[in-house]
Amino acid sequence: MNNRLQLGLIGAAAALILVIAGVLLFSVGGGGDKDDSASGDETPSASETESADIESGGEGELVIRGEDPLFLDPAVVQDSGSASYLVEIFSGLVRLDKDLAIQPDLAESYEVSADGTVFTFKLRRNATFHDGRPVLPEDVKYSIERALAPETASVVAENFLGDIVGAKDMARGRADSVSGVKIVDDSTIEITIDAPKPYFLYKMTYPTAYVVDQRQIEGNPRRWTQQPNGTGPYKLAEWRLGEQIILEAYENFYLGPPTLKTVRFELSGGSGLVAYEDGDIDITGVGLDDLERIQDPADVLNPEYSQVTRQSLDYIGFNTNVPPFDDPLVRQAFALSVDRAKIAEVILKDAIPVANGILMPGVPGYTEVQKTYPYDPEEAKRLLEQSKYADDMPEITLAESGAGGTVGPTTEAIVQYWSDNLGIDVKIQQAESGTFFSDIDQGRYQMFHLGWIMDYPDPEDILDILFHSTSRQNNTRYSNPEIDALLESARVNQDAEARLQTYQEVEDKLVKDAVWIPMFYDVAHVLVKPYVTNFELPAMIIERYREVEVDRP
Amino acid sequence: MDGLSGHIIRRLLFLPLTLLIVSFAMFYITRWGPGDPISIYSGQYRDEEAFDRVREQYGLDLPIYQQYRIWLSDIVLHGDFGPSFQYRDRDIPDIIFPKMWVSFRIALFAFILTFFIGIPLGIYAAVKRGSWIDPALIGTFLFFRSIPVLVLVPILVLFLSDRWGLVPPGGFDGMFTASMVIPTIALTVPGIAGVARLARTSTLLAMDDDFVRTARAKGLSEYVVITRHVVRVSVLPIMTTAIGLDLVSLIEGALFIEILLGIPGIGRFVFESVGAQDYNVILAIVMIGTAAFVIANLAVDLMLIVIDPRIRAGQRGLN
Amino acid sequence: MAYIDTSSMTEYVAEQPATSPAFRSVRRLMRRKLAVVCLIIILALYLIGIFAPWIAPYGYAEQNLDASFQGPSWEHPFGTDRNGRDILSRCIFAMQTTVAITLATVATGGIMLPLTLGMLAGYRRGWTDSIIMRTGEILSALPGLPMLILITVTLRPRFVGWVENLEDKIGTNWFTDTGFADFFLIFFVLSLFGWVGGARLIRTQVFTLRGADYVTAAESFGASTPRILFRHLMPGVMPLIVVGLSAALGAIALAEIGLTFIGVGIQPPHPSFGALIADGSPRSVFENHPQLLLIPGGVVCLLILSFNLLGDALNDVLTSRNR
Repeated sequence: MNNRLQLGLIGAAAALILVIAGVLLFSVGGGGDKDDSASGDETPSASETESADIESGGEGELVIRGEDPLFLDPAVVQDSGSASYLVEIFSGLVRLDKDLAIQPDLAESYEVSADGTVFTFKLRRNATFHDGRPVLPEDVKYSIERALAPETASVVAENFLGDIVGAKDMARGRADSVSGVKIVDDSTIEITIDAPKPYFLYKMTYPTAYVVDQRQIEGNPRRWTQQPNGTGPYKLAEWRLGEQIILEAYENFYLGPPTLKTVRFELSGGSGLVAYEDGDIDITGVGLDDLERIQDPADVLNPEYSQVTRQSLDYIGFNTNVPPFDDPLVRQAFALSVDRAKIAEVILKDAIPVANGILMPGVPGYTEVQKTYPYDPEEAKRLLEQSKYADDMPEITLAESGAGGTVGPTTEAIVQYWSDNLGIDVKIQQAESGTFFSDIDQGRYQMFHLGWIMDYPDPEDILDILFHSTSRQNNTRYSNPEIDALLESARVNQDAEARLQTYQEVEDKLVKDAVWIPMFYDVAHVLVKPYVTNFELPAMIIERYREVEVDRP
Repeated sequence: MDGLSGHIIRRLLFLPLTLLIVSFAMFYITRWGPGDPISIYSGQYRDEEAFDRVREQYGLDLPIYQQYRIWLSDIVLHGDFGPSFQYRDRDIPDIIFPKMWVSFRIALFAFILTFFIGIPLGIYAAVKRGSWIDPALIGTFLFFRSIPVLVLVPILVLFLSDRWGLVPPGGFDGMFTASMVIPTIALTVPGIAGVARLARTSTLLAMDDDFVRTARAKGLSEYVVITRHVVRVSVLPIMTTAIGLDLVSLIEGALFIEILLGIPGIGRFVFESVGAQDYNVILAIVMIGTAAFVIANLAVDLMLIVIDPRIRAGQRGLN
Repeated sequence: MAYIDTSSMTEYVAEQPATSPAFRSVRRLMRRKLAVVCLIIILALYLIGIFAPWIAPYGYAEQNLDASFQGPSWEHPFGTDRNGRDILSRCIFAMQTTVAITLATVATGGIMLPLTLGMLAGYRRGWTDSIIMRTGEILSALPGLPMLILITVTLRPRFVGWVENLEDKIGTNWFTDTGFADFFLIFFVLSLFGWVGGARLIRTQVFTLRGADYVTAAESFGASTPRILFRHLMPGVMPLIVVGLSAALGAIALAEIGLTFIGVGIQPPHPSFGALIADGSPRSVFENHPQLLLIPGGVVCLLILSFNLLGDALNDVLTSRNR
């Protein structure tokens, strides 16, 4: 073969390899340090120059991974992705502190009338929107009414604000204002609710009740959320969809200027742990299979590791209306025949604890008493034989939500236990996320594997909402007059101690009746760089960055 | 020439009709699925009454043909793709163009590399026909082509990022950054086989052509024959014919890479939008994708006509 | 991951139609050792898939929480996964899924649709041709993978409901129990988009063939259209199909794996390589238990490589001029 040709081709190939290697090397060199990377990046975005300055990961800046929010309208939010930004940008009359106790926020103080139905809030004089305009009672009234107005298209507003007198009329288009919200003077607002509900203030800490700027919304009804004029400790400085969000401290925040000047959320990227180890982000969550390594005291990352129990519960729910789960004995047999501790150990690497009841640690009324059924296959078999379906067990399907991945290994393990211990082969149906919840509403499933995340730390938010026979969210269709009566009495019980006892009684009965099999609580495992101080991952989505300090080495 | 320009004009005229048919079918298919965006968005907050009020706000309570009429007139008269049900405060082009731009930049890199590596190697294999080098090269390409992207990417991440710390584990930081390395490799490696094989076949064909034989007979060296005659005749047409094919497979391979690496590109976004049943976003992406595909193909055909004299003479069977 | 890869077919069309009798091609193919090895590998994998229930040492859903994440051993040659299921058995049953999907899709979208439509379009021309080709043009202009995802997600609930209704009528649970309802849906969708490329090539081929003397002769004797298509034109199109087939099988297998990986394909507990790869590919799992990804990934790679090499050999054999 012709030598020159060969040489030429080899030369061309070599040149190519050099070019490629050069490009890779150049980019590797550039990528290690984030400073250079902005130069080649021409994302069509308004705030190009700003981002170049901020992207230095410098003093007073925290860099973390974030979820993409859908959009930042507090009245409409229902996804945790959006909520975690809203709590920093906006604020309401009251808020939850780190111990999940209610604190006045935009309100300087508040009073509750003797009958527990009228709340009078005194606004802070120095509370301002990010554009400097003071927050007035008119703004509070507007915000509540706007959240409820049908044009706002919020599916949650009625849920959180519906206790206010006249709120339901407004939501249904029968009134133009909410009669229960009254402006008393230029710094006082009065809210009247339909019954003395001790948990009402908790509902007011949810973003639906946050204060928004009427002028901005009416001036730019469709797009104001892209640069919202809030009242919280941080301003939205930049938001590139799917790429990054930058929050910037609002220096005139009424509780004092935040110590942390900027928070940069990276909205995309691969493994958080690797990025953390590379020093690209300051805080990261830890997944199941890395936990063993991190929890080993000898590991270099171990001193940076911490965990926090979150108010959320993973459970199996039974449709108590359809065979075979209309027979409590069958439900109990199913509950008794799952070894939750073994699943937690093997599948979940002990990352999260087995639930001992329905209420989770941190929720008022939680006790460490073992309320759930133990693992007892013999007893389970005995109960099953006594049940009315002993000889005629119908086919059973367990529904689990969501396309997008395989069925959770936990679900598969649970089903295996039923097959081994009860001889019942339960089919798993991976339901379309589109219809999963509405199918549950309509009682289409016999049983389902689901989770519940608390919106506010009060037992009412789980026991009343999910088990009262008239509740819209009662997905088990459980109907028990005794439980209903207890729940109704607890709703308006002004004696906090007695109220919690009632809830504990309800919890006890529900678990014994095996309406749910409470499976696991949730624990978040996090790594925080040593130079980040004052950061504490809260148990719920609440404002958390204001007092953080970053002293990058 | 008449037939050709007629053909191109006909295809251009056919585009709006295609879009109309596609949009109509898509409109029905998306709305035929289970649930609706409002129900999905609301998750565990179940309040059918509130849902109905929200549906009314978005006109989702109207009969489908009426919804389609409104959607169509909005898009034709105002260029408005309608609201996204998830990202309610943004226009759909503002959401999807940045994501398409990300995917495009990643694909472009891989695209160029695929050709720059594939064509010389394919020609080399053709020249070496008969020796062991030809089958060895082709076999190697085919092996690389056979590794599923789903397996290749985790391996690349483990070594390049986790073990050796050369590149970030995912994400997208811009065109000339380390974050491009893994997606580029993952997209390029499987593609080379196709281009190289095509280059090899057309080189083999060209070497038998009369004018190449003539050139050889004139006593020109093999090197000159290959570079001056064969490459010009064979390589240029390959580049153009393969562009269409390769672009399509690149964009599809990109979906998995974007999911695996957490890249905010259009592939991953389509997947998310289907999950959320964000009707208008899905429609917009399919419309834009279809139009882009048709126009790109047309452009390729035009390029071919310019480049290849044989086609200009009307020999190529146009479908 | 194009579903039907037409690149190898494109090369063929550029050349002359094969005139060599089938047996000579087979003999030539058999002379190529690599192609024979590939053929044997493919056959072996397909046989394993077909006889999966008899070969697999364990059931695909059989768990043992006391044997989670075990490395290779005599009881579990490929180790076990998180739930203590035997990876070897799961791979064998995943092969069953691949066999079912590829064969069913090839039988419909892979051969029947492109063959019938392509021949019809090429032979009848005129309106038939226009309708078939314009439909194909529209289908191929659509972004493929997004459409696959969209249609599977949208159709599944309706389709499953429809299958369940049917089952109630004939009194069986076989389709849903075996997961065949999912198979049908996926190969329906794959076929819907997969026929276009093949049909185009066949049409072009038929264009050139229909001018041939023997076809004109048959026409003048008043042979019916189906007779001309299948008796006279089919043999000339056959090599094209054989070459396309091996590329198509691999592409279909990959498409199913991809769909299942993102959760819209075969539904659990029915195993698929897509699900196995999804289980094994998270970084933390892969780092500690690489075999969970490498074994199913390796099998897929072997299968696809065999298809690719065989396709290449077939291409050479069936289309080669004298060498």
